[in-house]
Amino acid sequence: MASYDVMPDVQLYQPAEMDDALELADRFGRDGWILGGGQDTYGWLKDRAKHPKAMIDLNGIEALRGVRKSDDGIEIGAVTTLREIIRNETVNAEYELLALAAGRVASPQIRNVGTLGGNLSQDARCWYYRRGLACYRAGGNICYADSPQGMNREHAVFGASRCVAVSPSDTAIAMVALDATMVVQSVDGERLVPAERFFVGPATHITKMTSMRPGEILTAVRIPSTWAGARFYFEKVADRDVWDFALVSIAAAMQVDNGTIGDSRIVCGGVACTPHRLRDAEKALAGKSLSDETAEFVAPLASRGAKPLNYNHFKLPLLENLLRRAVRG
Amino acid sequence: MEIATYKNDVWGREVLLGVSWELLWLVIVVPFVFIALHAIFQASRRKKEKPSSGGERVRRHDGVDRLFHWVMAASVFVLLITGVFPIIGINFSWLTIHWVAGIVLTLAVVFHIVRSLFWQDLKSMWIAPSDLRELSDTTRKPGKYSLAQKGMHATVAILTLMVIISGLILFAMIDTPWWDRSNALTEATLGMMFFLHGVATLALIALICLHIYFGLRPEKLFYTRSMISGWISRDELAANHDPKRWAPDKSV
Repeated sequence: MASYDVMPDVQLYQPAEMDDALELADRFGRDGWILGGGQDTYGWLKDRAKHPKAMIDLNGIEALRGVRKSDDGIEIGAVTTLREIIRNETVNAEYELLALAAGRVASPQIRNVGTLGGNLSQDARCWYYRRGLACYRAGGNICYADSPQGMNREHAVFGASRCVAVSPSDTAIAMVALDATMVVQSVDGERLVPAERFFVGPATHITKMTSMRPGEILTAVRIPSTWAGARFYFEKVADRDVWDFALVSIAAAMQVDNGTIGDSRIVCGGVACTPHRLRDAEKALAGKSLSDETAEFVAPLASRGAKPLNYNHFKLPLLENLLRRAVRG
Repeated sequence: MEIATYKNDVWGREVLLGVSWELLWLVIVVPFVFIALHAIFQASRRKKEKPSSGGERVRRHDGVDRLFHWVMAASVFVLLITGVFPIIGINFSWLTIHWVAGIVLTLAVVFHIVRSLFWQDLKSMWIAPSDLRELSDTTRKPGKYSLAQKGMHATVAILTLMVIISGLILFAMIDTPWWDRSNALTEATLGMMFFLHGVATLALIALICLHIYFGLRPEKLFYTRSMISGWISRDELAANHDPKRWAPDKSV
């Protein structure tokens, strides 16, 4: 077991310009670690479970901070803190879903320093993985959580492929519901990735949570005006209300006209390795009114196709109930 | 360079994790070096007169055997692409395609084993002591298959069985439409299965490179043609095979 009494040997870089950050990310590749608020990072370092050679701190780059209006919606810099998002007038007025989601991330102290980019690209919270065991996600060949003795109460009920860890990000489900686009930069240029494709499951890449490649930096998130002012619903159920990851959460954006639902995007967290869209429910809701009857009608669709593990069957009724609450009148 | 990689299991004991994929470049570079040297050597030799592909034709491979060969080839390529590409950083949802191709390969191999046991001349592919004389006597012509072809077949057969058996065991560890994933194996046993699967895969990559090269060499190209169309000419038969050891009776 590694010594815990000193900081690991990591080179810290604090670029003030984006070009410098990109050059550093390119130079260090897999050995580089992009640092936002550090709320995911420092746990890894403290536990000696990850060993980056260099840390590239983005907090000194002003261009990556703040919420800006654009021709079609808003753009939020990746190192904008969650607190800044929660308090931003535009976000609250037009994209309240994001403010609600950001407001449920961890604790006030963490939201003060935690960044949007960090929250979106944080690693899985499966404790077997975080403990440093060589599970599938850590490049090994076994899933400790999905074993007869495995403790998997918080793990996936959808989309597991060998690894059963879930996406822990509260803002991720809001971004998918708002049909956001991730701006990913590298020395080779800029890549725009729809939020839904930004998050990757273990079937595609078992050791990563996002589609970002070594040398790339998430610089901003663009939210289109498509869902501005829509009807939003966000709810997160966790063991501790003050500070915990979601057991199940829901982010819903619905176009409602005279009580009738048009298009909708309903996304759940804590149930799959990526933000999980309830597509069947979205289709079923089209043309229906916001009512208890509609809620009862669509609720069973939420858990359709779920494959619970030994200890997380409770997530299915929880998921159905959250969908009920999202669409009732 | 390591052959295997290791990890600590949940109890902190060191166990096998699998093959070291750093060997991948080796199994690609070494065959290509061999291919380059062989091509230079062959180019420097005096060319033999190429037998005519015209005239009477004799059957070398039945249609069903050709179909087996190409089904196996296709499934192996799919397996290699889906198995190796994610390791070298080309990521896609590979697992389902991989096991489906694995089932196709398994069924093809089972079919081939049954057919060769009951409907084909098994001895024509078996390495007999008399075949070894081909090593010292270059004028000695082979029967239906040369010693090199028999050696390649035997090696590929062993590796393919190794990759199939280890693959089927690993198959039980994932979700399929027929069963939910199992955790029945210990970490050490699982590591051994991954190791055998990986070693066989690496060896097959090297052998496939050589197989394709020899299949495309000008003097061997008629064998590849026969694997597509089924026939070789009487001239090609006479130039490359001993009629006492292989006398095909089926004309095409």
